[in-house]
Amino acid sequence: MSVRASQGDGRAGTTGARPGALGFLTDTTLCIGCKACEVACKQWNQLPMDDFGFTGYSYDNTGDLGATTWRHVAFIERVSDREGRRPTRLKAFQSNWLMLSDVCKHCVYAGCLEACPTGAIIRTEFDTVVIQQDICNGCGYCVPACPFGVPALSLTDGKAHKCTLCYDRLKDGLEPACAKACPTDSIQFGPVEQLMERAKRRVADLHAQGVTEAYIYGDREVGGTGGIEGLNAFFILTAPPEVYNLPAQPELPQRKVLPAFLSTAAAALGLGLAALLSLRR
Amino acid sequence: MSMGYQRRWETRRQAGGSAADEARDSYYGLPAIHKPHWKWSIVLYFFLGGISGASYVVATLARLFGGPELRPVARAGRYLSFLTVIPAPLLLIYDLGRPERFHHMLRILKLRSPMSLGAWGLLAFSLFSGLSALTQAAHDGLIGRRGPARLLRATPDRLVGLLGSGPAFFLSGYTGVLLAATAVPLWTKNFLLLGPLFLSSALSNAVTALYLLLAATRQAGSHALERLERLDRLALLAELALLLGLRANSGPVIGRPLDAGRLGQAFRGVLGAGVVAPLLLQALARRRHGAIAQALRLLAGLLVLTGGFLLRCVIVFAGHRSADDPHATFELARKR
Ligand code: SF4
Ligand code: SF4
Repeated sequence: MSVRASQGDGRAGTTGARPGALGFLTDTTLCIGCKACEVACKQWNQLPMDDFGFTGYSYDNTGDLGATTWRHVAFIERVSDREGRRPTRLKAFQSNWLMLSDVCKHCVYAGCLEACPTGAIIRTEFDTVVIQQDICNGCGYCVPACPFGVPALSLTDGKAHKCTLCYDRLKDGLEPACAKACPTDSIQFGPVEQLMERAKRRVADLHAQGVTEAYIYGDREVGGTGGIEGLNAFFILTAPPEVYNLPAQPELPQRKVLPAFLSTAAAALGLGLAALLSLRR
Repeated sequence: MSMGYQRRWETRRQAGGSAADEARDSYYGLPAIHKPHWKWSIVLYFFLGGISGASYVVATLARLFGGPELRPVARAGRYLSFLTVIPAPLLLIYDLGRPERFHHMLRILKLRSPMSLGAWGLLAFSLFSGLSALTQAAHDGLIGRRGPARLLRATPDRLVGLLGSGPAFFLSGYTGVLLAATAVPLWTKNFLLLGPLFLSSALSNAVTALYLLLAATRQAGSHALERLERLDRLALLAELALLLGLRANSGPVIGRPLDAGRLGQAFRGVLGAGVVAPLLLQALARRRHGAIAQALRLLAGLLVLTGGFLLRCVIVFAGHRSADDPHATFELARKR
């Protein structure tokens, strides 16, 4: 666990995605922040509007993924760097904005799915992660079990909701609504294996153009770490993950179940013994 | 119309730094993960479930090894366990977004989901707890003498108690695992400590409750009460060590909610008033007699129970706060 990443141990660009898995490649260097994906998602999935408000966070008045927001475009205006220097040169791919259309990552091993006590969350034949609305009883355990803050309970129907990767459209051989609507192909849909190859080529391209910060988020090195084994919806980023509100090296929460139960059992033994000795005649 | 539980950005944005500043190490300081919606009902469930399981274990051990002096402890333990387990499923169902679908929990059993295990564990334990309480009631002549009462009197209560002690300990401790198996920084960082912490606190709460009940009703002799107090002391010492360990293990960033603000006060309150003070009061009471000693023990007992409830409040809500802090999440998921 501890030695990897920077040492280039061959995890970059690899994922544990099952053969034939479908997913997204969201290439943030192509995003223009038009929010067509957000709108298309709401339209297709018939999601109601969220609170109408002004956040003051650049052009992002969405703020967050939620029960009724399954695509969220994040905006970061690079006004100045850490030292307060203003940029004097434009990036090879766009202006000095960072924009990312965030979405459920459809993790190869998904915390939400493993946490769900009702079996409402399933892995579909497309290897996507979907919440069955007729099963979910709104226990809300998937919500904190997602390392990326994706699912949320709805106040309207009391159930958990998140991106389905347009399960209904996939069934009919259509690509998800957001990918369809994206005018720059920042959101690309397809088999994860192909997308990963494409992403690696794109990152190499970007490096050749001088954007050496570009990297893949969602492989076994960054984003899909700690037992998650990769994200079927992954990204090309050009800044540290934290800038986009993404954890660098998340862990599958369920890895803690066995050790935590073992320590609890040990404590039960110890306390039981203490009780026996104290109560003994 | 609000569709989500909370619009997170409304709760953020402090005076001072500019948006550009905030966008450097985090995304405008917005939470990176979603916290659970858990409120008082879950905290109360943790508290009552803990007492229920632990008092069952105490009752069983008292019955098996305590001799005739501890019979009252066994009896009170069984009743207390049953009374505190009754509200548990109700609190859980009340907490669901769709309460009418509570039985969906019993569609499947998932070993990797503490919530699923918990649902089944609670079911199993309620059966044991109910059976033991009924058996006790039959022995006490509370449900008549003939028919089912006779059948119940014939059940091997010690064996039932022994078998039920597994699920009982499980109920008291699994809630710590439930919290640990999430992305919430404070909880998952302390994954090895939460179960033992809840377990020892459950034991001290149960023993204290039994002590107060038996002392108030004058049901048990002084020897029995002494033994209970001895056990209480051990449980409180374990709790103290675990609380200090939890604070140390959390570190400055992830442990911030345990220091700052009301939750910080509450955490110190749990440590000081809920654990240390009762230990001192009990020590003081051992050197006194009569009414003063009684008053000191009563005070100690009330402090332990209040502290036990407050402990669960603090752990749950400080966890929520750590989930709202992106720096805590990023610290946890730092590139290794
Ligand atoms: S990103 Fe979160 S909600 Fe989506 S599959 Fe992974 S764990 Fe589940
Ligand atoms: S809220 Fe619904 S989908 Fe989420 S864990 Fe509970 S039952 Fe499963």
